[in-house]
Amino acid sequence: MRRFRDTDEVDYCIVGVGSAGGVLLQRLSRAGFQVVGIEAGPFWDTERDWVSDEKGSHQLYWTDLRITGGEHPLSLGENNSGKGVGGGSVHWAAFAPRFHPSDFRVYTEDGVGADWPISYDDLKPYYELLEREIPIAGPAYFPWGDPHGYPYGPHPMGGVGNSLIRGCTKLGIRVSAGGPVAILSGSRGDRPHCIYRGFCIQGCKVGAKASTLITHVPNALESGGEVRDCSMASRIELGPDRRVKGVHYFDREGREHFQKAKAVIVSGYAIETPRLLLNSACPGFSAGLANSSGTLGRYLMAQAGNVILGRFDHLVRLYKAPPAHAMTEEFYETDPKRGFARGFAIQTVGPLPIAFAKQMMVAKGAWGWGMRRVMMDYNHWSSIAVLGEILPWADNRVELASETDQFGIPVAKVTFNLHDNDKKLIEFGKNKVMEVMWAAGAEDVVQEDRYAHLVGASRMGSDPETSVVDRFGRTHDIANLFVCDGSVLPTQGSANPGLTIQALAARTADYLISQGDRIFNSNSRDMTPPPVRYNLSPPGTFWKGMPRMT
Amino acid sequence: MNGASTGRKSLPIDPNTHEPLPPVRQPGYYPGYSTLAQQTFWDAKTRSVILHRVNHTPPIRFFDSEQAALMKAVCDRIIPQDDRDPAYRIPIVNYIDERLHEDKIDGFRYENMPADRDVYRLGLQAIDMLAQDRGGLRFVNLDARRQDEVLKSIHDGNAPAAQEIWNHMSIQRFWKGLVSDCASAYYSHPWAWDEIGFGGPAYPRGYMRLEGGEPEPWEVDEVRYEWQTPPDSLSDVYEPAGGDSEQKGHPGQGGTH
Repeated sequence: MRRFRDTDEVDYCIVGVGSAGGVLLQRLSRAGFQVVGIEAGPFWDTERDWVSDEKGSHQLYWTDLRITGGEHPLSLGENNSGKGVGGGSVHWAAFAPRFHPSDFRVYTEDGVGADWPISYDDLKPYYELLEREIPIAGPAYFPWGDPHGYPYGPHPMGGVGNSLIRGCTKLGIRVSAGGPVAILSGSRGDRPHCIYRGFCIQGCKVGAKASTLITHVPNALESGGEVRDCSMASRIELGPDRRVKGVHYFDREGREHFQKAKAVIVSGYAIETPRLLLNSACPGFSAGLANSSGTLGRYLMAQAGNVILGRFDHLVRLYKAPPAHAMTEEFYETDPKRGFARGFAIQTVGPLPIAFAKQMMVAKGAWGWGMRRVMMDYNHWSSIAVLGEILPWADNRVELASETDQFGIPVAKVTFNLHDNDKKLIEFGKNKVMEVMWAAGAEDVVQEDRYAHLVGASRMGSDPETSVVDRFGRTHDIANLFVCDGSVLPTQGSANPGLTIQALAARTADYLISQGDRIFNSNSRDMTPPPVRYNLSPPGTFWKGMPRMT
Repeated sequence: MNGASTGRKSLPIDPNTHEPLPPVRQPGYYPGYSTLAQQTFWDAKTRSVILHRVNHTPPIRFFDSEQAALMKAVCDRIIPQDDRDPAYRIPIVNYIDERLHEDKIDGFRYENMPADRDVYRLGLQAIDMLAQDRGGLRFVNLDARRQDEVLKSIHDGNAPAAQEIWNHMSIQRFWKGLVSDCASAYYSHPWAWDEIGFGGPAYPRGYMRLEGGEPEPWEVDEVRYEWQTPPDSLSDVYEPAGGDSEQKGHPGQGGTH
């Protein structure tokens, strides 16, 4: 791997080599730029470092301190926050649907939330690119949103998928069986196909489930990019010319460094990105770097992720098969008759024993002999979850706490509250999923309130007074500072954000590539959309084998 | 009945004979099933981590001796193991002690909770306050039923005798953190996997039979038996935990989506 020196002024310094950072590093390196990615966690050797075990997998998550509060405080850590090269794409369950066209204009259509400064059509070519590169497996015809097919075929069903299909079919609800998931159903190149062991969330030791660690970072390194792991970014330095100069960080020994860069892209996800920018406050930006709008840290969103569990008379053995293997988006779009805006998806989940025990603790109040008894029945249970569109609210936010971490950096404080539309949506969604579980034949159905994913807090928009970045991810305030990760999403739909984050990263990369040296030499902002580049995918990953739609 | 909890048995009952079921090496509905017997099919790193967990019970380093004895009595009610042969009981308190000793946290702290180590110090104090209030004795000296009453009062969020502790932390979050930690320690152990029929590590062999709950060739079909909870127990009831309902949200759990 090429190694830059701190004193080399690289073209781009990317903070965070996760879902977005991995794609950006690959695209920009391949296009010939000098790029270093700074990652707080390790550069994994999956065979040596990862353990096929729930308890042994805590290292994959952001387990440093954060404070969580509000009326409906979010669980963080292993619930939604990754650390290490690949970031969230190491521990995601790998559902990879697209957003719907309506997601980009929620305010115009429903009078709630916000509009994106781009449309679905702007992002569509990047969905198509990433679905091939990753690749995504799923049915030949996925009917919701903008209907499309997938380059790899659908996966076989597990016990949970079969219960979802049975329940939905009985109720006349369409189902997508076998995807869309970022998991190989057949081998490709050096990557083997899925072996259906069910440990997706603990990191795929097989290499069948995609993470940018294996899909994009290798080609980034081949193209001359650098990954600097175990390096914790602490502050972005702003120069007197109101342009960023580079990134301060701590190395694995705790020594401070400063990497000079012509431009900086922050890709730390919905908590670490605003945290870093807030901690980079300086004269002229006392409320946080690039925060003249006051919206940095605000409009944080998590999706409703209520899990409904049902006990069946027959064995299910839900631990076999990827947790993500079937879903429906039948309830995704707004239906005014329901009395709330937007909607939800229904997805399989696959809790392993510890996760399942905690769900029984909450959903059934299990403890003592009651816990022992219900756990002996583990193999009789199925688990399906809501994925619901909680709207962006200004009071859901990331701020700095007074506590500091092991580097002396103030930690993040996350505040979360459900609002009216959210509560109605969740109530409807969880009841609908319970209905599906009963229809599937379960004799005991319980549910657990929870949340999934984490986006927003550095949102994109056309108006610098109400957003942090523009439609290409450039901060409104600082011409050579960009944000590209889940934190830029203005709304979140009822789709898992991973594919959209990677697609946005590829689009941001195309913009930066098309702008070339102007990013480094000029403060002017050319808003011309970039041409879509079809020749920057990792070699051997872009081809034409897609199912026909008609 | 008095006496330290380690000396007493509180056994499940056979509903046919109404006699206590003698402790066995492996309770559960998968007779003869063993995940550890499959270890040659695991990868080297996983095998090393799991075998270390099984073969090296971590020593007590965080709790002092009184706290450790109290924690053991508490764990013995939260995840009772009287139905297990003493040689095959999972040392839950040691794994919890290890986490606290290493100060390993889940990656977040609720704003109305102290740090994990203090949660346990305060929580153990609360448990003994409740034991004194309810039975006039320390928790370790109460009989099983009284112990369950104390713990159930925390589960129910109705334990005013320890209010000075609940002034410093949420009773509901304490309970859920405690049960989570006990369940994590128990269900991360291969003997518990065998009890519930979970497949275990599964790399690099994976699974072939995904549908119909069918077993792999090396797994075991379920053989159910009826058992009644020990009569001196209060924990075989399923009621959601009570407590401060103003704050929802649950302790750290694995991601689902």
